[in-house]
Amino acid sequence: MTLRERLAAWGLLLGGALAAWTLAAAALPVPAYVLPSPAAVLQALGDLVTKGILPFYVLASLRRLVTAALVAAAVGVPLGLLLGMSRRVAEFVHPVLNFFQSVSGIAWLPLMLVWFGFGERTILVAINYTVLFPVVFNALLGVRSVPPLYASALRTLGASRWRIARDVLIPGALPNIATGLRLGLAYGWRALIAAEMLVGAHGLGFMIFSAQSFHLTARIVLGMSVIGALWVLLDYFVLRPLEEATIARWGLVQR
Amino acid sequence: MTPKIAVRSLRHEYVNPFTRERVLALDGVDLEVAPGEFLTVVGPSGCGKTTLLGILAGLVRPTRGEVLLDGRAVTGPGPDRGVVFQEFAILPWRTVERNIAHGLEIRGVPRAQRAATVRRFVELVGLAGFERKYPHELSGGMKQRVAVARTLAADPEVMLMDEPFAAVDAQTRITLQEELNAIARATRKTILFVTHNVEEAVFLGDRCCVLARRPGRVKAMVPVPIPRERRTWTLFTSDPTFDAARQRVLTLVREEVGGQDRAG
Repeated sequence: MTLRERLAAWGLLLGGALAAWTLAAAALPVPAYVLPSPAAVLQALGDLVTKGILPFYVLASLRRLVTAALVAAAVGVPLGLLLGMSRRVAEFVHPVLNFFQSVSGIAWLPLMLVWFGFGERTILVAINYTVLFPVVFNALLGVRSVPPLYASALRTLGASRWRIARDVLIPGALPNIATGLRLGLAYGWRALIAAEMLVGAHGLGFMIFSAQSFHLTARIVLGMSVIGALWVLLDYFVLRPLEEATIARWGLVQR
Repeated sequence: MTPKIAVRSLRHEYVNPFTRERVLALDGVDLEVAPGEFLTVVGPSGCGKTTLLGILAGLVRPTRGEVLLDGRAVTGPGPDRGVVFQEFAILPWRTVERNIAHGLEIRGVPRAQRAATVRRFVELVGLAGFERKYPHELSGGMKQRVAVARTLAADPEVMLMDEPFAAVDAQTRITLQEELNAIARATRKTILFVTHNVEEAVFLGDRCCVLARRPGRVKAMVPVPIPRERRTWTLFTSDPTFDAARQRVLTLVREEVGGQDRAG
């Protein structure tokens, strides 16, 4: 399917879903707040945009995500590379990283609330933690997945250890590093929304959770839609191109 | 005359990481390679050819014995011994020219001089027009040409080649062998070339060193007294000197393979 055909098919699917939703909202014998209609959600969108609330919350959530991405790139990537340089160290820390990667920031939240309080600090710790581990883990795997033959070849050309790290191990790990960032941010986005729901004073998670107290269900559906849409756009326009740039150019996948 | 390479009573033992068995790969290997000589090392699989080459390269430390280069003991890898590996050991994220220039970069050769050297070797191995391509855009034969050019461009005193043409198709292999012969003639490098292919060993070598298997040691040295400029595949199939050497080497290698069968 070409992109145009896909866009047409998605449009059709979206239109059908919206029609069915509108119909259900009108026909079902339940109060309007239980199942808000698409029109109500659209109205909430217009309302929150004109009041400037939605842009402010979107920016607040994205700012936290971008901060975590930068920290992970600056700290997590070098750390993962360093740990991956030695086979013995890598084998030792592998299960440890795997363990902490699987205990998501969401599972940590109850404890983090005790440690860091009901506020911005907990949100930042939770999202940075969640993004960091997949990034470290995949950078380590990246170094380990570089064929030892490449390093041997460079040694016979007279390369120093530093030179081998710079010319072989780091570029060889780049596709995994891109994958790690993509995964880390995907996990991080979920953890961020959860943390904002519990302790946020603003952000998309705060928006949908606080709306629930006033039965502002249209606002909740709107927030959910924005959370999904933002991720799809971020992934499609930033993360996937980054991953493909490293992998495809080096012929590591056949396209 | 001091030999370029001298191998003295080499022994190498290692533990197979999968079966945990001790393997005696080489025992009592002695050989000498003269400056400018093209020595081929041939033997059945499992005779320790690759181990021998790894030791010469300095990538493997022998259990006992020593390797001398111009009379000095080899203690590790170094740019005086260039290696062309069996698999494609060029870097997939570097273009052809950046791969070929790698040894020069490591040595700190200035950019302009590097470019000139790269151009020369790109021409020599027939890769003109492919300088900006990445390895995945090249055929197997072309990748191996890049590997040969990278080693040559670094200007080593000795070229060590580990079955470099084993992974390419038969037609390309013949072309590459003739090209390597021409390169050996043009550069006068000392070359040690490991292979399990008897024809290849006789076609390329000034001498053929036949290895016995398990443990590997030198079984025989077969001279191939044919000048470099007369070595082409058309002549190879008709020349009686070639044929005699080929029969001789084939018989010696067959004895080793037969011994393996009887041992079960």
